[in-house]
Amino acid sequence: MKNRLCLLLLSAFAIAALPGHVRADATTPPEWAGIVNIEVSVLFPDYREPWNAGQPSGGSGTGFLIGKNRFLTNAHVVSNATRILIRTTDDPKPHPAKIVHIAHDCDLAIIEAENPETFAKMTTLDFGSIPRLNTEVIAIGYPIGGDRMSVTRGVVSRIDFRPYSHTSVDSHLCVQVDAAINPGNSGGPVMQDGKVVGVAFQGFSGRVAQNVGYMIPVPVIKRFLTDIEDGRYDHYVDLAVSDFPVENPAQRQALGLQDDGVGVMIGDVEPAGTVGELLKPGDVILAIDGNPVLNNGLVRIEGDLVNMNEIVERKFAGDTIQLSYLRGGKKEDASLKLKRFSPYVRLGSQYNQRPRYLVYAGLVFQPLDRNLVDAHQIRDATVNYVFERYLTDKLYVERPEPVVLTSILPDQVNTWLTPYAQSLVDEINGVTIKTLDDVKTALAKNDKPFIEIRLHEKNRPLILKRDLADAAHPRIMQTYNIQEDSYLGQE
Amino acid sequence: MQRLLFLLLCGLCLPVAAQNTAKKKAASSAPASAVQSTSLLKVNVTAQPYDLHLPWQKQSPLNSRGLGVVVAGNRVLVTAQLVADANYIEIELPDGGQKLAAKVIAVDYEANLALLESAINAEKEKAFFAGLKPMEVDASARIGDSLNVWQTGRVGDLIESPLTISKILVRRYVVEGSGFLVYETTGIVRSEANSFTLPVIKGGKLAGMLLSYDSKNQVTTILPGPIIEHFLKDFADGEYEGFPGLGMEFQVTLDGQLREYLGLKPESPGVLVTAVIKGASAEKAGLKKGDILLAINGQTIDARGDYKDPRYGALSSSHIVRGNAYVGDDFELKVIREGKEETLKGKLTRKNPDDYLVTPYRFDKGPRYILNGGLLFQELSRPYLDSFGEQQTENSALLRLSHIARHPDELEEAGLKKLVFLSTVLPTPSAQGYDQLGGIVVNKVNGQAVGDLKDLDAAFKAIKGTTHVIELDDFPHVLHLDAVAAEQDNLRLQGGAYRISSLKRLE
Repeated sequence: MKNRLCLLLLSAFAIAALPGHVRADATTPPEWAGIVNIEVSVLFPDYREPWNAGQPSGGSGTGFLIGKNRFLTNAHVVSNATRILIRTTDDPKPHPAKIVHIAHDCDLAIIEAENPETFAKMTTLDFGSIPRLNTEVIAIGYPIGGDRMSVTRGVVSRIDFRPYSHTSVDSHLCVQVDAAINPGNSGGPVMQDGKVVGVAFQGFSGRVAQNVGYMIPVPVIKRFLTDIEDGRYDHYVDLAVSDFPVENPAQRQALGLQDDGVGVMIGDVEPAGTVGELLKPGDVILAIDGNPVLNNGLVRIEGDLVNMNEIVERKFAGDTIQLSYLRGGKKEDASLKLKRFSPYVRLGSQYNQRPRYLVYAGLVFQPLDRNLVDAHQIRDATVNYVFERYLTDKLYVERPEPVVLTSILPDQVNTWLTPYAQSLVDEINGVTIKTLDDVKTALAKNDKPFIEIRLHEKNRPLILKRDLADAAHPRIMQTYNIQEDSYLGQE
Repeated sequence: MQRLLFLLLCGLCLPVAAQNTAKKKAASSAPASAVQSTSLLKVNVTAQPYDLHLPWQKQSPLNSRGLGVVVAGNRVLVTAQLVADANYIEIELPDGGQKLAAKVIAVDYEANLALLESAINAEKEKAFFAGLKPMEVDASARIGDSLNVWQTGRVGDLIESPLTISKILVRRYVVEGSGFLVYETTGIVRSEANSFTLPVIKGGKLAGMLLSYDSKNQVTTILPGPIIEHFLKDFADGEYEGFPGLGMEFQVTLDGQLREYLGLKPESPGVLVTAVIKGASAEKAGLKKGDILLAINGQTIDARGDYKDPRYGALSSSHIVRGNAYVGDDFELKVIREGKEETLKGKLTRKNPDDYLVTPYRFDKGPRYILNGGLLFQELSRPYLDSFGEQQTENSALLRLSHIARHPDELEEAGLKKLVFLSTVLPTPSAQGYDQLGGIVVNKVNGQAVGDLKDLDAAFKAIKGTTHVIELDDFPHVLHLDAVAAEQDNLRLQGGAYRISSLKRLE
């Protein structure tokens, strides 16, 4: 206890000096000066009134210098930011900064100070590797409970493949530590022997679990940094399959597997994914890039058993992968170019996006995604089904962007239609609605005096007389204070 | 004093209702309440519903007490709710306390009515019913009429609560299905020990039975005389057929723009037919989705879907068939199709719960299932889905099952009679690795298509080699089950910790 107190006092002292003039010290190395507080002002987009700018809010996290004027932090620290300020404890001046790269799928971002000279002389932090289980690490950052830099200490508790909560639909390698990681620690380094071994990013609330914090380990960070080397982030690639562990002896035999623990069954395949045209349910993956895949879907990398996806995880779009698989008892080999599988993105939270919408005669159309479902608290069984089973029932193949009639702004023209809010749109004027843009195209068709909107699993068509609807449209826009009647995204 | 006056007045009104005999009876029974209670019996029921998730066992027994009304032929009328899933029923004389075991001889869970008879020999029955008088049914009540809820006290004393009919409308009773006629009344109902089947009396006759009582708003709904009359008349020949239905859904056409789109003139009646149930009366008569329904049996249907009932005024058109016609009756629909008026004719039928792909309700009989090597297969039913409550809108497997349940037509056309699904997996050696699965529709077993559980039973017997191949509609799509190991597990399931009495129920 005495030790820790001492450390905190010392580190605070160290930071009190100006950047670039930090004294080398046994407990606070000079590069710690590059661990900064990031203060962010944000606008939460309003998916209920998508024409409005949204709700202003703010937050704070940590970042650290990894190159010339380059700070690494979490994507969630700077998501939806309208203003980013870098603050250091020894400098009263806030330093405006901007996002250079942001990767929501692995919750990492690079920001830089607007004035490149500000941090020019500061020493950068170096990366280590995946720390071993039960070795000591420290987490450094600016968590709640005070204003100055904080250090907490613990050991590596577990190395696992886990969901990343920023999008809630991405899973990557994740290291669990029992060093306290609290709000504000996000984006800060976790260090061992003077090297960064991870970025602190999420934890469990104390009501659920104790001393469970997570960091993004170096392989995930390195992958991100490599990906952006060409100046662009290209996202993760994916096999886009669901594996079903082969535990059942009858299943193992029927699939033609040996009793050597090798081979995992494919339970589902995404047709738009990397192996969509190659594999089908009931096939068995035996090896990826020569690494045998065990019955439970794990492979051995660098001595540790990890999810087979970890092999794909470290690759990039266009890289190849070697697959050995079994079909009907016969072994096959294939070499595949990896590609991104993007339909899943809409199932997770999305950021830095202006909500897309279209309003016509008081009817508000919006594309179905997690942000919309959360904002509208949708209870409609059809919309919930399509959202929940969008991937598993391959609904994205037919309707890449399901469109929801989210609300109806009451007016005399649509007064009989108001019970049909929160319905899924099937067809407008005979045009199948596959994306929000189709709504615009379909409404523009004016060969008939009526606009006919068909909804999924709603028994009656919604009918609007075109002349009445056209006349009502500007009136409704004005009454409900809507500046633009649509935002369909950048052209 | 007020009460007496009310009954007398009631008696005076009765001759208008064209029932001559009623007049005398009502008038004479009015002053002496002891005479009236001779038509009431206490009904004690022990019900034990099946466990929908572990279908070989039953839930805890539940006791309920209600009142029954003695009708002609030493029979006792109660609500179906009271006797649903009953293990044991007894009728009891309110004053003397003598008891007699009884059984259900006719029941309609949609109309919520059941008829009981003695389960013991004729001599005992005769003695039991000796002092009782059958009550007649009154179908003459109108809006504004006064009714009385009857209850019995500890020693058979009659307790009355007066009510006034404020509305007569069509509403769903207890289970899913078309709506039935309901009297909505206002007034306070005293809370007594009998929780179910309170008879509602008008002029000494049975005018209805209590369906629900909202004590906060003092609003009661009453299962009315005309429906009771229909039920008893149907069973008069000893065979109960049930209420017929057209089997269609419609949308109101109040929306002016929709009317114009449909080509309906402003003053024209008619509703838009939006769904026609496969195999039901309307479909057989040729009704199609998109038709404009103008009239049923000569009764004009207005834009709201109501017709003018001579007794009750505007009433949902479903009552034309439900409340007034019988299975086998002719019916006639007037529709507009593609701008032309057409008349469709047919005979009324009834679709029983088992005729639906997803069983809407099931009482008294346990859910059908097959258990093999820990894999539990069931037929999808509405109560099964409903048993999950809110989870239905969150759980992925349930959302898919519910979605399929909303689209029975395509599957029925593909030859499915029931939707067979793997509901859960009990941990056994032969089902090792499968215990997290559940809620997945079964397509084929051992190469054979599965249209209901009987098909599944046959498919398990048609095994090639020693491994069952189970093809599923969803992840992981295929399971293999060692038949020999499964048989060993089946013995263990019956004798071991689970003590499962039977590995299947197909009836």
